[in-house]
Amino acid sequence: MNDHLLSLMTFFPLVGMLIVLFLPREADRLIKTVTLIVTIIVFLISLPLAFDDVFINSSAMQYTEFANWISIGQYFQMNYYVGIDGISLWLVLLTTFIMPIAILSTWHAVDKNTKGFMALALLLETGMLGAFISLDLFLFYVFWELMLVPMYFMIGIWGGKNRIYAAIKFFLFTAVGSLLMLVAIIYVYYYAIQAGVPFENGFSIAHFYQLDIPAHLQTWLFVAFAFSFAIKVPMFPVHTWLPDAHTEAPTAGSVILAAILLKMGTYGYVRFAIPLFPVATMKFTPFLALLAVIGIIYGALVAMMQDDVKKLVAYSSVSHLGFVMLGIFAMNLQGLSGGMLQMINHGISTGALFLIVGFIYERRHTRLIVDFGGLSKVMPVFATIFMIVTFSSVGLPGTNGFVGEFLILVGAFESNLRVFTVFATTGVILAAVYMLWMFQRVMMGKVTNPKNAELKDLSAREVAIMLPLVLFIFWIGFYPNVFFEKMNPSLENLINQVKDKQHIAMIAEDMDPTVTQITVNDLR
Amino acid sequence: MSLIDLLALLPVLILAFGGTAILMVGAWYREPRPLLAGGIATALIGAVAAGMVPPPSLEIAGLFSAGGYARFFTILWALLAAAGLMVATRYIMEKRLGAGEYVSLVLYAAAGMALLSSATHLLGLFLALETFTLAFYILIASNRRCEMAAEAGLKYLLMGAVATGFMAFGIALIYASSGTLALPDAALRMTAAAGGLQPWGLLGWGLVLIAVGFKISLAPFHLWTPDVYQGAPAPVGGLLATGSKGAVVAALVGMLSLAGPVWHDLVDLLWLLAAVTMLAGALGALGQKNLKRLLAYSSVTHMGTLLVGLLCQNTEGLAATTFYVVVYAITSLGAFAVIASLADQRGEPMAFDEWRGLGYRHPVRSAVLVLILLSLAGLPGTAGFMAKFAVFQAALQSGYLGLVLIGVFASVVSFAFYLRVAMLLFQPEAPAVQRHAGTAPEHAVVAVCTAAVLVFGLFPGILFDLIGRLLP
Repeated sequence: MNDHLLSLMTFFPLVGMLIVLFLPREADRLIKTVTLIVTIIVFLISLPLAFDDVFINSSAMQYTEFANWISIGQYFQMNYYVGIDGISLWLVLLTTFIMPIAILSTWHAVDKNTKGFMALALLLETGMLGAFISLDLFLFYVFWELMLVPMYFMIGIWGGKNRIYAAIKFFLFTAVGSLLMLVAIIYVYYYAIQAGVPFENGFSIAHFYQLDIPAHLQTWLFVAFAFSFAIKVPMFPVHTWLPDAHTEAPTAGSVILAAILLKMGTYGYVRFAIPLFPVATMKFTPFLALLAVIGIIYGALVAMMQDDVKKLVAYSSVSHLGFVMLGIFAMNLQGLSGGMLQMINHGISTGALFLIVGFIYERRHTRLIVDFGGLSKVMPVFATIFMIVTFSSVGLPGTNGFVGEFLILVGAFESNLRVFTVFATTGVILAAVYMLWMFQRVMMGKVTNPKNAELKDLSAREVAIMLPLVLFIFWIGFYPNVFFEKMNPSLENLINQVKDKQHIAMIAEDMDPTVTQITVNDLR
Repeated sequence: MSLIDLLALLPVLILAFGGTAILMVGAWYREPRPLLAGGIATALIGAVAAGMVPPPSLEIAGLFSAGGYARFFTILWALLAAAGLMVATRYIMEKRLGAGEYVSLVLYAAAGMALLSSATHLLGLFLALETFTLAFYILIASNRRCEMAAEAGLKYLLMGAVATGFMAFGIALIYASSGTLALPDAALRMTAAAGGLQPWGLLGWGLVLIAVGFKISLAPFHLWTPDVYQGAPAPVGGLLATGSKGAVVAALVGMLSLAGPVWHDLVDLLWLLAAVTMLAGALGALGQKNLKRLLAYSSVTHMGTLLVGLLCQNTEGLAATTFYVVVYAITSLGAFAVIASLADQRGEPMAFDEWRGLGYRHPVRSAVLVLILLSLAGLPGTAGFMAKFAVFQAALQSGYLGLVLIGVFASVVSFAFYLRVAMLLFQPEAPAVQRHAGTAPEHAVVAVCTAAVLVFGLFPGILFDLIGRLLP
């Protein structure tokens, strides 16, 4: 079974989708139960990965599967080539872990056209898992776009008042980036073919990693990739789709969007943009770090001024992912592993925050901070969980957020990005300000609004949703080593690979500055 | 014309004589169902004949080819005619149109399209083009009681007449400068004779290009398209969008592979046409509030993208273009088939308001329409994506980065309008009224198109291999 574990995991949701499509439309509860069971099964399928010690010892791709997929004459060849290593391992598990939680959160929130929603959710899971395990650029692109469509419909059909606008904005922003990336993918492919990569390897990234693409060309290709991923992350100034999408999306959509889809962007940098174009990465590092820091501070400042809790959480994502980007571009083990861990952390804590927003929205049908106040007295269980999640988001020691942010800042401080680190640190303080202030206004004080006096505390189902997330908040907070020991070999390997290439390029440039001056025309 | 020629022409003859026979029978026997069944059977027999009966010679009277490429398109257009008739059944019966006339016109159009795709001579090209456009003039306006249809028919007629004029004049000029109308020579002799294209010859080719531009609605000759699409009934619209355009493009591919060098002088012009067409189609579609008009503008964008593939001037580009034509034909036939299957006594659903929430009334066909729209938009997993991908990669290889970027921009714009419609279908508030449940033949056409969109999207190799072997 191990031979096809990844395929089984990726396509099982698709099987589930087909089952859901054949269920009667009125059987609301049945559809939800089946979907939940399918996502739990997918989680169980993926669980052995978490306990596999091979990731501790090896940086190579594991569980690889290879099959010729599309071969079109002598023109191009695409393969179904998947595998998993320490970089994608935790993201895959995050996906399979968050999905049942997201589905469970829809129990009361989604009541119209449940069938469509669940079918799309399952399709989305296939898309996300596929994107994380693809080792073929073309395959990756297919899954990458495949994720877009279900999320588009989730926002546009089950969303709030402005849903169509938000959905189209979400789609168009991502599509602009991804089409440019597609052009770049084709370019890299032709370069690889001309550089002698065997035709039957298709778009395999392992082979693309070994190319020595001229610096000038790398610049353009990197821009195309980086732009596409930057939109997804989202980095300042292409983040504007995010608040709209998050505010309009249904709770489950927001959770999936925040917890997993945004990670596609950062993962894309680690897996594709940086190792494929190391020399260009070197050039753009200060620029991207600057954008990351602007994102951290800007996101935090804007979050502070929000009167809608969901928008606040959305903007906090911009800030948090700025940290992730900073860590990645530090290009050392602390920064990168901190960034990777922070991706998981953000998935857990922001996912949890969106669930919390969903809970109070379901009860009061408003998300404005001024409508609340003093909830902690009415809903003590809710208050406890909310506080833990808030601390995690702020990065209090003992929670997961602290480990990630601390490592990122250490890593960045030790790299060339020292100046940026100084400014980024203010983001930690600002995060404390906006989160705690919001928490104070919503939960503390007296119950001013009579409508809030009779709110019910969390139900057993809602507690069950939150408990696993809280567990991971503390687990990562106290004993993150389980996670690091499996991702570090792959990350070290990546860093060495990138640094070596950058080193060679720097030497070449010192010796003869004309060496790297090769124009786009060389491709033809 | 010898017996060998006639044998080689067999599939087209089946279509043409079958059409005539049905017309004759229809004059006395006015029961629509058997006539339509006969028409569908004739089209299918034509397709089978094109596939199974090997032609005794590869060219027919120096006018048409009977090679694999020509036969491939003959099969495609014959099948398309069959599908068009299957979709039209209910329309003909409800509007009480003469079934014999309708069936025969569709078969004539298919014969014309098949001839056009196999033309190797400018006269053959002209004849074939006129054959099917004439059929379409009537088909579009076949329901005389509908004002919109009459207007559309008239518009198509006027534009078609202008295009014919350009075409005839262009051919005359080409003849004047090269002394022949046979295709490779008509282009090659001009280059050889004067060390470059003679000005008259170039003008001639330019005029032919304009005529082609009218037919496949390249900007700025595309203005008739939305009106005609809107006015024509969906069963005819489906044929018009797929066959009439596809056949012209297929002829272009054929011409190009025979007469490559001439196009070198026209490359800049074609570049501009492709760019303008892609942008005009995409931007024009943005403001539309009617699905058929939107499909019209979408076809404009698609024709622009096709032109990019044609520009590549290598087998890769031609293969990509051919793939694109086939995929586009299947996809838009599917779209029109869905529209036709939903038509009832209120007419076809067209305005966006009529589509809003239709997904809750007719979930399967709405989902299919979404899939088709996604394919038209070019999202992975659908045939439309592979087609676009193939064209773009051929263009990149030939160095048309600028054109590809424009195409990318047009694609992004087109995502906006395709997806908006897709979303409208499933908007929960104020669900649309119940529409016709559709008949079995209509469902069959929709199902086949859906399956083809998915199969060619996930396993495009099947079709690409076939095309690779057939390219002239």
